[in-house]
Amino acid sequence: MVAIADDTDAPRAVPPAATRWVTAIRRNPTIATGAVLLAILVSLAILAPWLTTDPLKQATINRLRPPSERVWFGTDQFGRDIFARTLHGARVSLVVGLTVAAISSVIGLALGIVCGYFRRIDGVVMRVMDGIMAIPSILLAIALITLTRPGLAVVIIAIVIPEVPRVVRVVRSVVLSIRAQPYIDSAIAGGTRGVKLLTRHVLPNTLAPLIVQATYICAAGMLIEAALSFLGAGVPPEIPSWGNIIAQGRSFFQIAPWTILIPGAFLALTVLAVNLMGDGLRDRLDPRLARRM
Amino acid sequence: MTNILEVRDLATHFFTLDGVVRAVDGVSFDLARGETLGIVGESGCGKSVTALSILRLIPPETSRIVGGSVRFDGRDLAALSEAEMRTIRGHHIAMIFQEPMTSLNPVLTIGTQIAENVVRHTGVPWRAALERAREMLDLVKIADARRRIDEYPHQLSGGMRQRAMIAIALSCNPQVLIADEPTTALDVTIQAQILDLMLELKEKLDTAIVMITHDLGVIAETTQRVVVMYAGRKVEEAPVEALFAQPTHPYTRGLMRAVPRLDAEAEIAGRRPRLQEIPGIVPALNRPIAGCAFAPRCTFATERCRAEAPPLVTTSAGHAVACWETARVLEAA
Repeated sequence: MVAIADDTDAPRAVPPAATRWVTAIRRNPTIATGAVLLAILVSLAILAPWLTTDPLKQATINRLRPPSERVWFGTDQFGRDIFARTLHGARVSLVVGLTVAAISSVIGLALGIVCGYFRRIDGVVMRVMDGIMAIPSILLAIALITLTRPGLAVVIIAIVIPEVPRVVRVVRSVVLSIRAQPYIDSAIAGGTRGVKLLTRHVLPNTLAPLIVQATYICAAGMLIEAALSFLGAGVPPEIPSWGNIIAQGRSFFQIAPWTILIPGAFLALTVLAVNLMGDGLRDRLDPRLARRM
Repeated sequence: MTNILEVRDLATHFFTLDGVVRAVDGVSFDLARGETLGIVGESGCGKSVTALSILRLIPPETSRIVGGSVRFDGRDLAALSEAEMRTIRGHHIAMIFQEPMTSLNPVLTIGTQIAENVVRHTGVPWRAALERAREMLDLVKIADARRRIDEYPHQLSGGMRQRAMIAIALSCNPQVLIADEPTTALDVTIQAQILDLMLELKEKLDTAIVMITHDLGVIAETTQRVVVMYAGRKVEEAPVEALFAQPTHPYTRGLMRAVPRLDAEAEIAGRRPRLQEIPGIVPALNRPIAGCAFAPRCTFATERCRAEAPPLVTTSAGHAVACWETARVLEAA
């Protein structure tokens, strides 16, 4: 018998890097838009100390100045530079968003796999998750923060707890469908051990939906942080964050709308960028929605 | 020839809300070293459950092996611990499944999946295992193994995936390969290639094969001995030539008549006759069956058939049948 040759896909010619980038962007415009926006925001946040002046420096002579050549985004009621405050606020938002997404993904992944695979534990853990989901996340976060000293770490933990059940649910349902797949039976029939089966065969297959879910949690995390800071329950006022900048500008909204509009616009833009990436990744990673190239 | 696998009175029951389903109800057979044994029967007759029971892979929540024994190379598999069982699975007894499209993990490359099996069972370093994977891909005649080894399952066609499955199954030189409908999902030409390949590798590696199928064509082409199952029981066992020359159980006869034929013999007066079906349906397995399970569908059935289960009787060399009316059936032929 002859070897079965299948010459339809002989070694493909590799196009130059530039062409590949152009095609990648054309095929996934949503991911590209989100990624570019996010990249700009991240670099602004990282470079904030070099691009701006001290966000806490008060200059009461210059208070409530509208945006101008000298102060790009204007100043607040204490004469603090809104440009500096907004860029420094971006650091808080992004750190909170990314950390919340990372921590809740890891915890949720572990719990989700355990629930999906060990059916005895499933009932108990999922009821606890349902319980957590029943509590409004902002309320839970405020309660947790009131119990402790305010700080970035507390804010992150307070946001992670209500987000974990969302990840657990997604991962658990994916694991339930994966464990019914023939390749799992096949791996067991090949003598694969339990732990290996989970890490090698189940876990990698849950990653695509998990990544998508993580982007949404990142966006939600930033919004909740802003809401908490706005309510005064978030990061302490000496750390500028979009939420507390808006909160402080609230009383002067009618005479100095830029104190609210600018950090608000940044928040909206950042959440939009992350959600665009999430949507794009979902379309790209979900085999049922993926367009055939 | 010594037997590598001896299955004795194997009974696997499923405990469902509708009662106990006797999926496998006292099946016995032997598999000699290097032999190819066919298990044939219609859907739901217990072929796959038999295979899964041998490897103790039936779902523990709903089913249990309630009786009988499986001896592999003289060892009672039921007595082994789960850890010992894992060293048997994939190493000494390998299995390939019906669905080549979904039996490979979509996120791992073909090479990784083969090499993993090799490392797991032989403990060789990863590099050597990958080399073995490449050898196996050559052995199952996947062209350009060096490139294919880094490809993912979705990059392979159905036939190639089944080849890759065979490569995984045979990568540790198992003594027994259980093939559960290995070609059902493939088109006819690929089917023939895969079967040829399996037989060729069987000779080369001296692996015994249990070929589970509902396709009498596959049985005729590949096996040496055949077990015919009906409703969880073995109704006939014979060397393949004897079975096709003189099918003795009415069910086996029914199966053979239900295969469409192309030769002139089948044509009467220029018209092809209507394909003969077996009347009736498979009995529900969640109620105890008194007598012969096939009796309600059998044209030879008597009162005794309905009341008393027929024992397996050896009629001629290696040909055993469970039927009270063998004499009448043979006369009718």
